[in-house]
Amino acid sequence: MIKNFIISGSGGQGVLSVGSILANIFMLNDLFVSYCPCYGAEMRGGAVNCEINMSDSELLCVQNDKVDFVIALNQTSFDKFISKVKENGTIIVNSSLAKINKTRDDIKYIFAPLTQEAMKLGNIKITNSIALGVLSKILGNFTLDNVKLAYEKILKNKAELIQKNIEAYLVGYNYIQEKDCIQCQ
Amino acid sequence: MSEKQLLKGNIAIAKAALECGCSCYFGYPITPQTEIGEYLSLEMQKRNLAYVCAESEIAAINMALGAASSGAKVMTSSSSCAVALMQEGLSYACSDELPIVLVNVMRAGPGQGYIYPSQGDYNQSTIGGGNGDYQTIVLSPCNVQEVVEMTYKSFYMAQKYRNPVILLVDGLLGQMAEPVNFINNPYEEIDNSSWRLDGAKGRPSREIHSLEPEQNKLNQHILKLSEKYRYIEQNEQDFEEYLCDDADIILTAFGTMARVAKAVCNHFREQGLKYGVFRPKTLYPFPYKRLRELSIKAKLFIDIEMNLGQMLRDIRLGVLSNAQVSFVGKPVGDWLKKEEIISAIENIAKECHASL
Repeated sequence: MIKNFIISGSGGQGVLSVGSILANIFMLNDLFVSYCPCYGAEMRGGAVNCEINMSDSELLCVQNDKVDFVIALNQTSFDKFISKVKENGTIIVNSSLAKINKTRDDIKYIFAPLTQEAMKLGNIKITNSIALGVLSKILGNFTLDNVKLAYEKILKNKAELIQKNIEAYLVGYNYIQEKDCIQCQ
Repeated sequence: MSEKQLLKGNIAIAKAALECGCSCYFGYPITPQTEIGEYLSLEMQKRNLAYVCAESEIAAINMALGAASSGAKVMTSSSSCAVALMQEGLSYACSDELPIVLVNVMRAGPGQGYIYPSQGDYNQSTIGGGNGDYQTIVLSPCNVQEVVEMTYKSFYMAQKYRNPVILLVDGLLGQMAEPVNFINNPYEEIDNSSWRLDGAKGRPSREIHSLEPEQNKLNQHILKLSEKYRYIEQNEQDFEEYLCDDADIILTAFGTMARVAKAVCNHFREQGLKYGVFRPKTLYPFPYKRLRELSIKAKLFIDIEMNLGQMLRDIRLGVLSNAQVSFVGKPVGDWLKKEEIISAIENIAKECHASL
């Protein structure tokens, strides 16, 4: 079983941190994983993305043309990565910053107002963790313990921040449960 | 054994170097390897070790020469176009027989090129751009775990053979993070008390220099170096092979490209075609011996590289039978995808597939 993911957004939205947390969660689940951040002349406020691959056997392809899941945290990344979603793949779109628009009928769309949800929690910087929660619900195979451990690995001893991110993660996780979820069966 | 950590290739190199007892690092920042220096600038200061952000790569390699002369374990790191600046220093280090570990995290060339990943420094590393009869040992890892293991091996071989070792890392691998089990350094310490320059109190003085005006002496020195290289070639060839025993068609690749080659091999195996993958782990000494053996049975070799065919020359030198040698490659940027390679091979190997 191989699954691949692209997380994308603008600089400062926590794209690389949440990508690294996702990769750590897979590692804690004893899976093979690779995490490739884009690197280049990207600047603050510019486009950022990373690709994560997960497998239960040795990972051979760490860069792929098409992926199973895309998370797009803004309009630019929605436009840029929609074509990267595999047939029957899923794209999670931050509808606070991107227009709800379905240009393909061979993929699943999940639109969630991630930024608005983060603002409700009083911190726009945890938009990324809400997105992770949404993805986690769809994947359905993480334990909350491993999610916590992954946050601790990245955020070290910043207990308050870890708590806030877990809260955000759970908001995302429950968002999918609460709302009508036809797209992600 | 410690628990697994998710580490970027560059950070893994820096951590492993400290584990090896690297006491001096000299370098100048350049993408895609800057994290090595960044990490060491903090950690070496904490440990009271020597970290110098040099004013240029030429300065860095020459600082490395000086520190290695005194017996210190030395590392420098850089990338492609800046490693080009270090070629003179490497030739000196070979003649002076100084153990230096040089990490090259490759970017795109020629000239300034750009920061895109590439495997364009195979020739620069294995052949080199310095003057004279010299050789640097070149190791090529394919994942972050191996980056750690080969950093250990680089320090060991540099000390053992008193010769520079190049750890040649794909830009992709330097930037990519994978789970790493940080094993202990398995290699023994090499005693350098017989040659290092540590003050002549109570013993005759020593000199390390490559200048030798006397013709006979210079010839003898070069012949002695050559003997060392022949010994290395006999004893240090290292490779990985995947399903090669019964293979009709063998894919050859180094570094991370070998992983994609395995995926391609699996694809053709599923179709009942006997593919295998041969990956040199030491680019110098190149594993000719095993390649020759494999070429007795295999009918076709397809070399895959993120350049326009640099290792291809060594594959051609190694394949002694009537087996054909072909090539799939691309100069720089996004790594060749499994699908691209498969469709290229379907063209190249059409006749060969039909005959199997």
